Amino acid sequence: MATEVLMPRQGQSVESCIILEWRVKEGDKVNEGDAICEVETDKATFEVEATATGTILGIFYPDGEDVEVLKVIAAIGEEGENIDDLRPADNDSSAEQEDTSATDVVETAQADTSITAPTIQAKTDGIGASPRAKTLANAKGISLNAISGTGPEGRVIERDVQNALVSGAPLTPAAQALMANGNLNAPAVGSGLAGRVLASDLSTASPSDAQISVPTLADIDVPVKGVRKLIAERMKASLSQTAQLTLNASADARQILAYRKECKNSAEALALSGITINDIVMYATVQTLKRYPELNAHFLGDTIRQFGAINLGFAVDTPKGLLVPNIKNAQAMSLKELSMAAKSLATSAIDGSIEPDALSGGTFTITNLGSMGIESFTPVLNAPEVAILGVCTITPRPVMNGSDVEFVPHMGLSLTFDHAAADGAPAGRFLKDVVDSLAHFNLTLAG
Amino acid sequence: MPKSQNVCPKEAFKPSKIKFKDIPVNQYKSDIKAEIKAHGKDGLKKMLYDMMIIREFETMLNSIKVQGSYQGMEYNHPGPAHLSIGQEAAAVGQAAALGVEDFIFGSHRSHGEILAKTFSAINQLNDDELNNIMTSFMDGNILNVVKDGDSKDVKDLAENFILYGTLAEIFARQNGINKGLGGSMHAFFIPFGSMPNNALVGGSADISVGSALYKRINKKPGIVIGNIGDASMGCGPVWEGLMFAAMDQYRTLWNNDLGGSPPVMINVFNNHYGMGGQTQGETMGYDMLARIGAGVNPEQMHAERVNGYNPLAVADATNRKKEILLSGKGPVFMDTVTYRISGHSPSDASSYRTKEEIEAWEKADCIASYKKYLIDNDIITDAEIEDMQTKVIGKITTAMKLAIDEDISKYSDPKLIADLMFSNQKVEKFDNREPEVLLPMEENPRVKQLKRKERFGFDAKGKAISKNKVYQYRDAIFEAMMHRFYTDPTMIAYGEENRDWGGAFACYRGLTESIPYHRLFNSPISEGAIVGTAVGYALSGGRAVVELMYCDFMGRAGDEIFNQMSKWQSMSAGILKMPLTLRVSVGNKYGAQHSQDWSAMVAHIPGLKVYYPATPYDAKGMLNAALAGTDPVVFFESQKTYDFSEQFEKGGVPEGYYEIEEGQPIVRKEGSDITILTLGPVLYSGMQAAEELAQKGLSAEVIDLRFVNPLNYDIIVESVKKTGKVILVSDACERGSALHNIANNITTLAFDYLDAPPVVIGAKNEISPAAEMEKDYFPQVSWIIDAIHERILPIEGHQVSHNYTRGELSRLYRAGI
Ligand SMILES: Cc1ncc(C[n+]2csc(CCOP(=O)(O)OP(=O)(O)O)c2C)c(N)n1
Ligand SMILES: [Mg+2]
Repeated sequence: MATEVLMPRQGQSVESCIILEWRVKEGDKVNEGDAICEVETDKATFEVEATATGTILGIFYPDGEDVEVLKVIAAIGEEGENIDDLRPADNDSSAEQEDTSATDVVETAQADTSITAPTIQAKTDGIGASPRAKTLANAKGISLNAISGTGPEGRVIERDVQNALVSGAPLTPAAQALMANGNLNAPAVGSGLAGRVLASDLSTASPSDAQISVPTLADIDVPVKGVRKLIAERMKASLSQTAQLTLNASADARQILAYRKECKNSAEALALSGITINDIVMYATVQTLKRYPELNAHFLGDTIRQFGAINLGFAVDTPKGLLVPNIKNAQAMSLKELSMAAKSLATSAIDGSIEPDALSGGTFTITNLGSMGIESFTPVLNAPEVAILGVCTITPRPVMNGSDVEFVPHMGLSLTFDHAAADGAPAGRFLKDVVDSLAHFNLTLAG
Repeated sequence: MPKSQNVCPKEAFKPSKIKFKDIPVNQYKSDIKAEIKAHGKDGLKKMLYDMMIIREFETMLNSIKVQGSYQGMEYNHPGPAHLSIGQEAAAVGQAAALGVEDFIFGSHRSHGEILAKTFSAINQLNDDELNNIMTSFMDGNILNVVKDGDSKDVKDLAENFILYGTLAEIFARQNGINKGLGGSMHAFFIPFGSMPNNALVGGSADISVGSALYKRINKKPGIVIGNIGDASMGCGPVWEGLMFAAMDQYRTLWNNDLGGSPPVMINVFNNHYGMGGQTQGETMGYDMLARIGAGVNPEQMHAERVNGYNPLAVADATNRKKEILLSGKGPVFMDTVTYRISGHSPSDASSYRTKEEIEAWEKADCIASYKKYLIDNDIITDAEIEDMQTKVIGKITTAMKLAIDEDISKYSDPKLIADLMFSNQKVEKFDNREPEVLLPMEENPRVKQLKRKERFGFDAKGKAISKNKVYQYRDAIFEAMMHRFYTDPTMIAYGEENRDWGGAFACYRGLTESIPYHRLFNSPISEGAIVGTAVGYALSGGRAVVELMYCDFMGRAGDEIFNQMSKWQSMSAGILKMPLTLRVSVGNKYGAQHSQDWSAMVAHIPGLKVYYPATPYDAKGMLNAALAGTDPVVFFESQKTYDFSEQFEKGGVPEGYYEIEEGQPIVRKEGSDITILTLGPVLYSGMQAAEELAQKGLSAEVIDLRFVNPLNYDIIVESVKKTGKVILVSDACERGSALHNIANNITTLAFDYLDAPPVVIGAKNEISPAAEMEKDYFPQVSWIIDAIHERILPIEGHQVSHNYTRGELSRLYRAGI
């Protein structure tokens, strides 16, 4: 079985790279790790290494070609091996063109291939969205960024938002059909499995639409590829190759809320007003993590590498999907520095300008679903890291105060760790210490 | 040519000579006894007084313009002041011969004429009449300012009323005789026979002919004088007015009872100059202006040159001409020689004339010489003249004091104007007399014929009814005209080939049988005068419907449409109404000068209503509305639709009377995906486009605009909110199309609902080619779909035939096509 060489993804915003020069030709022998070609993005030039030792069986794109990332650019194996399976579709003139239609949705019902007339192609260099599309997206609470436009010159128009509503949301097919047909609203989270929105979750937008018949709509297959494929593989690998489990706890949030408020109202010159609850949690976590090197580590099978520095990863929801940039040497930072570093990384992650470096080398990750009202969850490890801390929403909890019950705001915390790398006791202690450092944040700040 | 008059080759080719009669030049001979007999000694003195009033009034304005003050009162008047110092005798002599019921129209230089005519009328009216006029005019506002002064009697008060009201008008005050909305060049006062003055050189010529038509047709007393300048003889509309005034038909074909030709005198205050161009000797070739009359008709328009520096010579001539006019033998052409000592305007440096020339005319000054004449003939004494001068200065000073006092004379409120742009009234008839018709309506042959027509375009099975059996758009025009002809006795209709021919497109066929000549007639090919006379007719109090055979001829009537028809209601502060409907037929198939939809041109002009019906039902209902209103309506009709049957209103076109509500577009077909707005005949392409879109899975809503102005956007906005997409289509060239304005307003009113910018398509910005190639010029059904595909909503599988990409549009814009 030959090994493929992929056009690497140099940072999340990079969609394609230009092959500057092949250093090898078909038939050459290479060792794993040898540089086989030089490629370039608009920001940098770098080398692509051989992914296996063997013979270059195929080079699929010539010098100067602009190739989408994650495409197979070469195959390495033993002489005589068949590499047709690895050959990218657009590389073979006899093969069918890859489907690039608007939403990557292939309707199975649309079997008619006899249409020769031009099809409407979504363009990535769209010219924004129409006011109507924006209004609709707002009303339905979906992000325009994720939608490709099929209007003139790629403008996102009403029908694109409608399509996205039908195909994008976590709706069951029955719910999708109803949405497409009627004047209905879907809740953000449904009552189905994993929050899927069921037909019964849909609410009528106007009382006049009393009659809803269930129309039949074609089933749809969404191909798994690109970023989705990458995430899928990573997640499955994480779950299958680690022994992860989650501990839940909650921290008295009164001090951090008060502190946050104080920061927010502070004099402009102090530049503290931008400090968020998440920054505070990150800071408290870093301070605690300093005492738990076993959790600031990578599980590498034969070894567990405990890191001297804390490179704190944090999950950012971007138009391209989930990204986890990390703050290098967070252990050396004040709260203010940490906050600023987090903000600048998040901004560049969202606008796509983030450096690839910032996306690798993390040692511990924090993921925050608090803003979505999540009370507890099981974060999936960012393997090979051995722990990830999930930050949940703040809810009032009853606390005994003498004989009275007092409701005190508490922040939920969910720590997933790899039991292969660490035991429950230190993980539990770590979580408790994080809880304490938040509850007594004033003391935590003292260092 | 009517069949009653034969055109005979024998006559046409017979050898003979055209003989001209002598045209009198300055033939007046002074005879003091005769003058005393004609005017009385007081009348002769009164003329001097009126001249002195004008002289002082103009001197006051000159002093304000040049020195910023008069009699120690400082004032800045930023607006115009075309003064007539030197021309007083001409204005006063003319007015002395006129009754209150006689009308004079004038020019930019008409302060003197306003004062002369109103003072003459004041002299003729009794106290009750004067009091009535003054108390009722503008709720007595002007009277209230002057009544507490030291007027010695009602006439004196009335003079102060006019002096103050006119000056307040010039100074843009609410108490002006036109509420300050007309100003120096447009002021007038109808109760005393002073009709609108006109800032367009020669503008009053054809308008005064129309006013005389009004008097003739509606049997109103008096004559009409159009006072114009010598330089205006170069203006086309003036010549058109002469042709119109001199038509043979008034005396050959019109009912004799009416009294013959319209009683109109075109009088030229010949002061030898335009602004700086010298007419006799430089910019004209007539040698003596009176000569022009000789070219117009066998009577040579009774042309005469009179000495405009002698009020008695002018009065004598005017008197004689008035008799001719009243006996129906007009029109009359007068060359009243005068000279303006003042500059054209205060900024005039008189670089075009010598000091000596001015001094020579000052020496001959009309006031000084008339004073001498009265003294020499023992009519007046120096002392009396001195008293007179004191009184005159006192009056002018008081008028100015009142007019510039901002507590007494508030500036006109520009907010008033919005409500004055249209009068928006419904008037069944402008007179109660029986309308003159030749037949009972039921006996009219076309009415009988229409009884047999199917009034809806399809039979019960949905099959189209043949053209011969179906009621058409042109029939709808006919029915609306008939209704109003039989209702409003003042209504007249004319234009080119309007009578026996029935209008070039047979809309009027059958009217000839019912309507007497004076109410429906052929005009000369004078588009300017067709509209201009209609303006004069309408503002005098009658309803006029005139026609332009092709929209492309609108340019010929540019001033009349853009400045006259549109402006007089508001410039008169609502005193005038303009019940004038201008039917404009939009052509095709006849090439570049006969195929243009110019709705945009009139849409741009404030004060015009613009209708464009596309169906027989609307043609009748909208023309009915126009003919019941009091506003100027430009009524477009497409020649593409004249033979169309009613295809939308299932009940067909009603036989009875109904009106379409003004400004309301109509949804022709409901839809949910895209709105197609059409104007005029493209409605039918829009409907077809909707059908084709339906085949592509798109549901189009088609809205027929029907009106360009006023326009109610509610229905449109509602539709666009629903569909988010809108394309606007008309046959007009795309650049500057009125639809761009509408598109822009839609964007303003419904921006957040739009899924794409509204798209306007129209004919190419090129000449319209021959009939065979029109498909490549006017917007086609396929263009509509192409533009939707390219600019609004890409349609799966659509192949374009017409390029609406941005690149192509930019290229066209850049190339100016
Ligand atoms: C149609 C038109 N063209 C030009 C002008 C500018 N203009 C105002 S008065 C004038 C001269 C008019 O001369 P004439 O008709 O002899 O009248 P006068 O000023 O001598 O009284 C001109 C050219 C105008 N007002 N209207
Ligand atoms: Mg002149």
